[in-house]
Amino acid sequence: MGVTVLQQYPVPENKTGTYVIELLSKRILALGATQQGQFLVDCESYLSHPQMGTTKTVHILHNSEQPASVFSILESGTKNIHVIADGLFDLLMMKLSQHYTSKKQTKIESKGPRFELGDFCVKLGSVTMNQNFKGILVEVEYRPCVMANAVWGLLREFLQGLLGPTIPVQPPQHLLSRMNEIYTPIDTVYQYLEHFSAYRKVTGMRNA
Amino acid sequence: MANSVNISIEAPIENQIQEITYDGQEIYQAPLSMSENLARLAQKIDFSKSDDEFCNIKKEGESSTDPKPDEESKDAGYQSSLWPWESVRNKLRNALTEVCVLADVLNIAKEKRYMVLDPVQPEQVDNRPMVQVYGRKKALGAAAAVLLAGVERLRASENMRINRNMPDFHIDLLRLRQNWRLKKVSNTIVGDLSYRTAGSKFSQTGVFEVTKAPEDQMMQAMSLNAAGPAPSALRVTVPPELQGVAFISVLCQKEQEDVVTATLSSSALNCPGTLPGDGAELHWQQKLEAAQNVLFCKELFARLAAEAVQLDASIPHMVVGNQIMATVLPGIQLLIGLCHNNGQNNPNANPEGVKTEGAAGKSDHDHVLEHSLHQLLRAVHYANTHHPFPHPATGPLGPSKRRCLAGPMAADRYELLDMSKEQSLLEQIIQQAQHFFMRRRSEYVLDTIAKEVKDPLIVSHWNALNSPTQSCVKINIMAYGYDAVCRTSLVVHVGEKTLKCICRDGKVRHLSYELQELRDLIYCQIYQHQMTAVQAVGRCMGWQLLASSAHLGSGPVEPLGNAASCLLASPAPAGDRMIAIRCEPSVGIQVFIAQSPRKDFFSSELVQDKKWENLGGAFKEIKLDKMEGKNFLNKMELLMACLSSPS
Repeated sequence: MGVTVLQQYPVPENKTGTYVIELLSKRILALGATQQGQFLVDCESYLSHPQMGTTKTVHILHNSEQPASVFSILESGTKNIHVIADGLFDLLMMKLSQHYTSKKQTKIESKGPRFELGDFCVKLGSVTMNQNFKGILVEVEYRPCVMANAVWGLLREFLQGLLGPTIPVQPPQHLLSRMNEIYTPIDTVYQYLEHFSAYRKVTGMRNA
Repeated sequence: MANSVNISIEAPIENQIQEITYDGQEIYQAPLSMSENLARLAQKIDFSKSDDEFCNIKKEGESSTDPKPDEESKDAGYQSSLWPWESVRNKLRNALTEVCVLADVLNIAKEKRYMVLDPVQPEQVDNRPMVQVYGRKKALGAAAAVLLAGVERLRASENMRINRNMPDFHIDLLRLRQNWRLKKVSNTIVGDLSYRTAGSKFSQTGVFEVTKAPEDQMMQAMSLNAAGPAPSALRVTVPPELQGVAFISVLCQKEQEDVVTATLSSSALNCPGTLPGDGAELHWQQKLEAAQNVLFCKELFARLAAEAVQLDASIPHMVVGNQIMATVLPGIQLLIGLCHNNGQNNPNANPEGVKTEGAAGKSDHDHVLEHSLHQLLRAVHYANTHHPFPHPATGPLGPSKRRCLAGPMAADRYELLDMSKEQSLLEQIIQQAQHFFMRRRSEYVLDTIAKEVKDPLIVSHWNALNSPTQSCVKINIMAYGYDAVCRTSLVVHVGEKTLKCICRDGKVRHLSYELQELRDLIYCQIYQHQMTAVQAVGRCMGWQLLASSAHLGSGPVEPLGNAASCLLASPAPAGDRMIAIRCEPSVGIQVFIAQSPRKDFFSSELVQDKKWENLGGAFKEIKLDKMEGKNFLNKMELLMACLSSPS
């Protein structure tokens, strides 16, 4: 488990998502990467019942990189509380359906090919919400290092090389405060949640 | 009352606890109101009982009883009452009717105008005492006859047991029951000797039957060996496939040229004929233990054979008949065989019997590995029944503790893959065999080097505590009498197929199973030790180290390692003597001495001034083997002492 950076890639006008994925796949294969299967990150959000006081949102995320785990993040105003549990947590959420209702129409996922290039692991995900294409998310992981500060320069250079100079590469909002801490899988999940929330807010494609 | 103690008094719980909340608070049921309590108590009244008594009274009072109230009460019981007083109301109404009728009857009787009550003479029972006496006598006689017959039989068998010292069936059965699982199926007693309850999942059953031994056989057995222990009154019958003796034979042998001959000779598993004594005369305990062992061996072998077929090793494992052949190290094979002699066929009927005798002597059965195999299967059984705690009611049963934690610890796919790998028994036993060979070979190499090399002493300490697949040896290289001056130590970890050597300088070398590598390493260490030791001796003697090099570039190329050298100068005030030592692992140690400036100087045409003598002169080699001294360091010490003494 290394440091992961999630970057949104804008889809050009009158081009499709598959075109962009193919373009990036060609670029990364030209660098000498090998494709290692597919990946999937999905997120489902549950709203608490209004009778329970202020409405809270629970996001349930799965990451194919951690196939045995279920990540849940409870949004309660200012603070986010996360719990990592095993697969049975999904069943628990079903039992709680009286108190937390699922917003089916906001189920969002990012899936696509997964590449390995030396110590890097690159995932090109096309984000879909209810089968509607929303955008492209590029995930780059540098596996030997667990400290974001130590590897951010390297990751930025790699991302710039891969995505081209027109894309501005900034450290993710979530990582800014945690640059000197040990990176854990939940940090990746937080980054996905940030992007997913942004995708949900805009209608149509997100290009910002 | 300064030291009074506060005593808190709490009223006992009068109300029932309805529920205990998660924070420990108890919620009581509200106490019943008066009317509710009354209704509850009224429902508890057993009206049927009083009804019965009432009926009895009625029977006495009136000759005929009407069945109606009974039916009604039954109906009341069946009907679910609409309100709590329903049944009570019905009962009371019935009672009122009865009482009214009784009052009417009493009134009528009292008036004496319509009815007169006369005492009725009770009906005379027809009792003829003699008939009764005879009947009872006959019945008692029949019962007594049954009892007497039983007593007679018991006494006879008891007498026979005591008189002829026959064992008691029931006592034996009790003993059997204490040690084995028994159950009664219709008229037979059946037991189970399988390891199912201990966690085995082997499909073969281990059912045996317990019967009473025929008396004539017991008599015969007793007459045969009167002095020996009494024969058992039990007869235990085990299924024929579990009879006899079985064991797992483990052989390690050098690979032979022809694989076929290897299989033939390796089938030479010399089974012991049978257990001491013939099968029928065995005590049931030994018989059952033997059968259980047969079952265990069969399970072990079945498991190993299945694994051997499933595993895809670089050199495939072979399963031929009751033999598994696996390659441990190049040229060395591990043979695991199941020997089962069920005592029915004569071992000499086997045509290979004669051949096997000869082959068995060559490679003998490895008891340690056999024991390890047994241990491994027992560990599997144990793991089948003992799941790691905690097991939550909702969680799945069976995964390891690491796997349970994998979800909450967000283990990634590689870790999960790693967890799913499970070593089979065969792999584990092959690893143990590999380690066994590596250990034996390393021992051999170290011992032979210690025998060959006398000058620095080579002492190896094997750790007494080791695992079946790893052990550790510490090697000390030192010279006799100089162990305080210099000693070189290194540690060798013996693994399954590799050796890990940690040298004194902290370098770690990984060696393969080819033990020439270890041999070369130790030789290099020996010469390195000699060089460092001679420098240490020189320091003690006050000599100066001018130069030293562990890897000389000059001279012929060495087959292993590099030549090393060092140059020492005699103590400071004179400082005119030099010793040069060159050490080549293939040649040995050479020592040269030189003196500069020489004491006597004769000017020649080429060298006209004495100052040129300071450049150093010609070295002369010392014949070390002619020198006095116990070992190389001792010789060097004497040499230094001799050279530094003013002469």
